Amino acid sequence: MMSFHSKVLCKSLLLGLLVVTSAASAASAQTCSTADCHAEYIGLANSHSPVAEGECESCHQQVQEQHPAAEGQSFELVAEGAKLCYQCHDSYGRQLFVHSPVKEGECTSCHNPHGGEKGKFLLNADHDLMEVCTQCHDAAAFSGEFVHGPAASGACVECHDPHQANQAKLLKQPLQKNCTRCHADMAEGLANAQHVHSAVRESECTSCHDPHSAPAIGLLQKDLESLCLECHKRVSRNATKAKVKHAALYRDEKCGACHTTHFSEFPALLKSSERDTCLDCHGQDDFSKSKPLKNIAKEIKDKPILHGPLRDGKCSNCHDPHGSDYFRLLRGNYPQGFYQPYTKDSYDFCLECHDKNMLRFPDTSIYTSFRNGKQNLHYVHVTNKYKGRTCRACHEAHASDAEKLMSGEGAEFGSWRVPTRFSKTETGGSCSPGCHRTYEYDREVPVEYAE
Amino acid sequence: MRFTFAFFVIIVLLLAGCAPKATKQHDPVFFPPAPNPPRVQFLMGIGDSRDVEGSETEYSLISMDPSKGDDVKFFIKPYGIASHGEKIYVSDTLAGKVAVINVKQKTFQWLKGGFGPGKLKKPINMTTDNQGNLYVADTIRKKIVMFDPDGNFLRVYGEAYDLKPVDVAVDDRHVYALDLSRSKILVFKRESGELVEGLGQDSDNPKENLSLPTNMTLNERGQFYVTNITTGVIVQLDRDGHAIGTIGKMGDGFGQFGRPKGIASDSDGRIYAVDSAHQNVQLFDKDGRLLMFFGDPGFPVGSLNLPAGIVVSDDDLATFQQMAAPDFELEQVVMVVSQVGRHRVNIYGLGKKRSFDYEGYYKESQEMLKKADESRAQRKKENQ
Repeated sequence: MMSFHSKVLCKSLLLGLLVVTSAASAASAQTCSTADCHAEYIGLANSHSPVAEGECESCHQQVQEQHPAAEGQSFELVAEGAKLCYQCHDSYGRQLFVHSPVKEGECTSCHNPHGGEKGKFLLNADHDLMEVCTQCHDAAAFSGEFVHGPAASGACVECHDPHQANQAKLLKQPLQKNCTRCHADMAEGLANAQHVHSAVRESECTSCHDPHSAPAIGLLQKDLESLCLECHKRVSRNATKAKVKHAALYRDEKCGACHTTHFSEFPALLKSSERDTCLDCHGQDDFSKSKPLKNIAKEIKDKPILHGPLRDGKCSNCHDPHGSDYFRLLRGNYPQGFYQPYTKDSYDFCLECHDKNMLRFPDTSIYTSFRNGKQNLHYVHVTNKYKGRTCRACHEAHASDAEKLMSGEGAEFGSWRVPTRFSKTETGGSCSPGCHRTYEYDREVPVEYAE
Repeated sequence: MRFTFAFFVIIVLLLAGCAPKATKQHDPVFFPPAPNPPRVQFLMGIGDSRDVEGSETEYSLISMDPSKGDDVKFFIKPYGIASHGEKIYVSDTLAGKVAVINVKQKTFQWLKGGFGPGKLKKPINMTTDNQGNLYVADTIRKKIVMFDPDGNFLRVYGEAYDLKPVDVAVDDRHVYALDLSRSKILVFKRESGELVEGLGQDSDNPKENLSLPTNMTLNERGQFYVTNITTGVIVQLDRDGHAIGTIGKMGDGFGQFGRPKGIASDSDGRIYAVDSAHQNVQLFDKDGRLLMFFGDPGFPVGSLNLPAGIVVSDDDLATFQQMAAPDFELEQVVMVVSQVGRHRVNIYGLGKKRSFDYEGYYKESQEMLKKADESRAQRKKENQ
């Protein structure tokens, strides 16, 4: 049994030994970095803590008595590679993706083990890590015309974990979350919008964007048009091969003139409702051109009768906004002029919705109410092989004050607007147009016309 | 010994005649079969009056109840069918009778005006007008015979014209008789019975003209669909005589016909064409595109055997909705006559399952087909 005095003696001896050892270490550090030897480690702005504290032996151990040694190294590292660092630092490698220098234990490929003048983490770099990262990674990837902010400022570690991660490319979070971490408005829009671009919903942001730098604005991999048309083949065919092109596609905004790219409250990712999108350009007076766009908004304003597709807000039922082989970007054949006798294909477009039999038979009791008895007056007007009148001779294409879109002001015929002066009765009607004298017609009791 | 055997045979026949009709329960029968989403359900089959009036569950060799036993009404060779409201009319060509069936009221009677001047000899096809009058094409009487909604004889059409009327249609102004001997639709004024004109032979395209026509239907727009034995096509023409087009052709493929017979159209413009060779009903949209087919020959529940007449109605959906699967909502009731077999009148319901997104399914299917077409075209292009 140790006496009280013996215990005090032992503790005193241990304390003495500790003091002697510490003094020896301090003496050793003092001797490692002097004005003559290893002077570069003195007074570093950001020193590795063992360096700052003169704990050189926590990493280096003396293997030859003479230092500097006459031959070979008199000091060597206490452990090889990352094992040296893992003496103090937590080890890496437990996540799915490990940065290759970490995996190979090459910590010093990024970190200066003694410290440096700049920045944290012994990287000898301030906030801009570009120099560190581009030691290995190709700098060209970050030198496109348009550079992502974090890449431009070398804030690589905002998105990437430099050691390990559970996402490919050492991303700190799954790709979309990684992006919406900063682009929070996008996250909110994607969560709440009625329509989300399938490219966003079903694939990654990087399908269209380059997260580092890109040749096109918006960090797009290509200019907007080429990028869109890569997937939207049918639009591509229309846009490139169509005989009649929509000017809006060829302005600076390209597809973005009408569509948003990520999400929208409106179908087809339009910026506003289809009608409003179209009227954005086609709804204003343009006095800057000799052949200005028609002001359709003015044309349809306060008109009680709208053409069905327009009433439903579907301009695209008749017009193809991406290009067409038919005039006015129509989706099918409708004669451009005032006169065009009906033939099998000449009115295909109108007859997609309207019964084609209306123009096929000289007599009918079914396909039109514009008949005198069974005499088909549509046939009389349109199928006349010398002077078949197109629909526009009597009907408006968009809106009218009268039923059946009968033209109020009359059709444009050169500089004259030919009036129709149509009136309707229970079983027929009459016209006093600019084309002929007043004619009446009656479905029940046919009017007899003079030869 | 001979007497004993004869006695035994008579007893067996008597017992068989009095045996209760077995009414087998079966799972709902849908067309097209799974995994396709169902569009048509077989609702009921009518073999004789007991299927309508309710099966007898008791029998006795000595029946004291005159409403039972010998009052069962059978079909011999039914052919045509028409309907108005709750009433279904089925013609029997051999019996020379027309059955008046009311599924809701559970009644099965013979048309009461079918005697004297209203006596039918070979009633083939029939139709009804908006007032519920019945028009019967009779090929032996060579007339269209008209009855009022209560079944009383009213008048005849086509008396002086030596018709062979195989079908009849009617609108507000005219009665249309499909004349097999002339391959024409003869138009009679409804009031006077005067012949106005004959339709169906005016097209420059011979295929669009009638050729041994057997059945027709007149839709709400005034257009006829007529089945033809010789050409095997359905000819579409209008009441003004204009040929509008044809549907199908002779053959055994989808949308083709072997022996096209009964034809009907519904309020959505769909066309239902019976084929007694394929023993099914093919459904087309208003543009003549095949949508599906149902029926099929043989003995399975809901099958058709030498089918002929067909009628489509949405007049009494409520009665037939009770027979449909719980979540299957009916749009139309389709009634088809089989000339032979256990069930002479099969009643089907066209509808949709409430819980199923048909639009989404069809859209997806169309996209798949489109992609398949595109990739086929691409392969073809690459191979060239």
